[in-house]
Amino acid sequence: MAERKLGMTVDLKRCIGCQTCAVACRMQNNVPMGMLWNRVLTDGGEHLDRARGTYPYLTKSWLPLACQHCENAPCVKVCPVGATYKREEDGLVLIDYDKCIGCRYCMAACPYNVRVFNWKEPVRQPGHDYGDAKVPKRRKGIVEKCSFCVERVHQGAEPMCVLCCPAKARKFGDLNDPDSEVSTLIRRRRTKQLLEDKGTRPQVYYLL
Amino acid sequence: MVGKTSQTMWMAILATLAAAGLGAWIYQVANGLGVTAMNNIVSWGLYITAFMFLVGLSAGGLIVSSSASVFNIKPFKAVAKPAVLLSTVCIILAALFIFVDLGRPDRFLNLVLSPRFNSPLIWDVVVIAAYLVISVLYLYYLSRPDTKETTKYTFSAIALPVAVLVHSVTAWIFGLQIARPVWHSALLAPLFVVSALDSGLALLLLVLMGLVRLGYPKLEKNLLATLAGLLAVLVMVDVFFVFSEVLTALYPSEERLMEYINLLLTGSLAPFFWGEIILGVVLPFALLLSRSRRENRTVVGMASLGVVVGVFFKRVWLLFSAYLLPLINDPPGVTLGKYQVPATEAWGSVSIWATAGSYSPTWVEYLIFIGIFAFGALLYSLGARYLLTASPDENASQAVSSRATTAGPVEARTPMVS
Repeated sequence: MAERKLGMTVDLKRCIGCQTCAVACRMQNNVPMGMLWNRVLTDGGEHLDRARGTYPYLTKSWLPLACQHCENAPCVKVCPVGATYKREEDGLVLIDYDKCIGCRYCMAACPYNVRVFNWKEPVRQPGHDYGDAKVPKRRKGIVEKCSFCVERVHQGAEPMCVLCCPAKARKFGDLNDPDSEVSTLIRRRRTKQLLEDKGTRPQVYYLL
Repeated sequence: MVGKTSQTMWMAILATLAAAGLGAWIYQVANGLGVTAMNNIVSWGLYITAFMFLVGLSAGGLIVSSSASVFNIKPFKAVAKPAVLLSTVCIILAALFIFVDLGRPDRFLNLVLSPRFNSPLIWDVVVIAAYLVISVLYLYYLSRPDTKETTKYTFSAIALPVAVLVHSVTAWIFGLQIARPVWHSALLAPLFVVSALDSGLALLLLVLMGLVRLGYPKLEKNLLATLAGLLAVLVMVDVFFVFSEVLTALYPSEERLMEYINLLLTGSLAPFFWGEIILGVVLPFALLLSRSRRENRTVVGMASLGVVVGVFFKRVWLLFSAYLLPLINDPPGVTLGKYQVPATEAWGSVSIWATAGSYSPTWVEYLIFIGIFAFGALLYSLGARYLLTASPDENASQAVSSRATTAGPVEARTPMVS
């Protein structure tokens, strides 16, 4: 197992639902109006930031959600043109924006609803590109999603959501390296993967 | 027979509608798929529904007509040519619906240039292309008076399994997805094939009745009753599959799956689910129960129309039941990818979120939908004018088939009777 398998842990005990990762992701990746690659959901409540349960037995927790970079990725299987692919050397699920034909089969295949489509020419507010210059531009008619900040990772940096999390809830590293921080956390803590019964084997682990 | 002028009128209307559809598509390409009602939750809509529906219509017609040769069912041979023409037109329309659904139609060729064979969509591209070629060749050989029976047999023997396969593969586009519990069923392909059979046969019956107006000979009573009887049986098999599918979900009442089933039984898709049961099952079966009514053109026509509409409803509930409820639906939900900026308020109040899907087609989608179907009707009318009525061979074998015995290749070449 010489190759790396990059993955993330999200500590749900540390997450305070501040949405910083959602905004950081949007800023880094130049995500246009109307969509997010990374969202912070309120676990169990009826609305955003609503507590769960009845008084006085209330709890409040969040579920940060983006592409799970599944090992057994349904989106990769269905892409008819190979625009969505699983990168061999580090296990990232990526999209070749120049190949995507916009059939949206991957959106039907993804159980996590983390893929977003450019239903029209992207609009940004304020009206200029605010993302990292290395992040490729997207036009209307194609699908996009979290790339684990592949441009940053390529330079040895962490994804922006990991860097910006004020609660240090997110960690990023090589799941194939038993000594990495993520592997250690997964070993020591109780974890869950989302929709585990679907057998997608996400490379994102939630620490409980 | 309808006069030349009213035929021309009919075609002019169809051409106008098709042109309007083309205009709507150009508008859609210019502005993006945002002009449709689709969004990040309901990311497929009317186009893919129509695609499913048309592949079914196409496969059904061809299965009935090619089984005529394969199993040597003589009376069916009379309808072979109109049926193959119908299949050809329907499969072209199905491909068009995939095309208009693409976000980047300019990259359409990527499907051919860099196909990935792990995608059921590529399987479908392959079988649809093969199917189209076979249908056109089959039509060509059926239209030539000097075609040998063995050639017809060979083509029908290839066409029959390909037609079954084309709709199975279309079912697998949906049925192999673990993300969509209502689709993910081994029964989906058989269900699609039997829906194809009943809707395809029903449309064929309707078209044959319409062709009378173009001077094509009337279906004789025996054949009409046989086909109508077959339709009634197919409708029953169809509802048996649906019942089996729903019962399998209802009995264990697994929480997640029940949400989807409730959408069908009592929720927003109930009009389509029960609409299918009433129009596509109860009505046609009641109408076709007795032999005397199966010989009645009007009754069979009504039953057929019910089946076609019913199966369309089935496509609607099949597609949308899978989409309306995201598996992870914690608030605020999924970003729709669409937003409307209120005229008076600031950007801050723009809502882009939803925890459940909703969809109601826009005028662009309706125009394209109508336009493609009008184009199909136009194609069929032209095909009927030049391929069907002009052939003495076909009309002759039709007349022969009413004698219902030994219509062989020699007799089939007798001159036009009607």
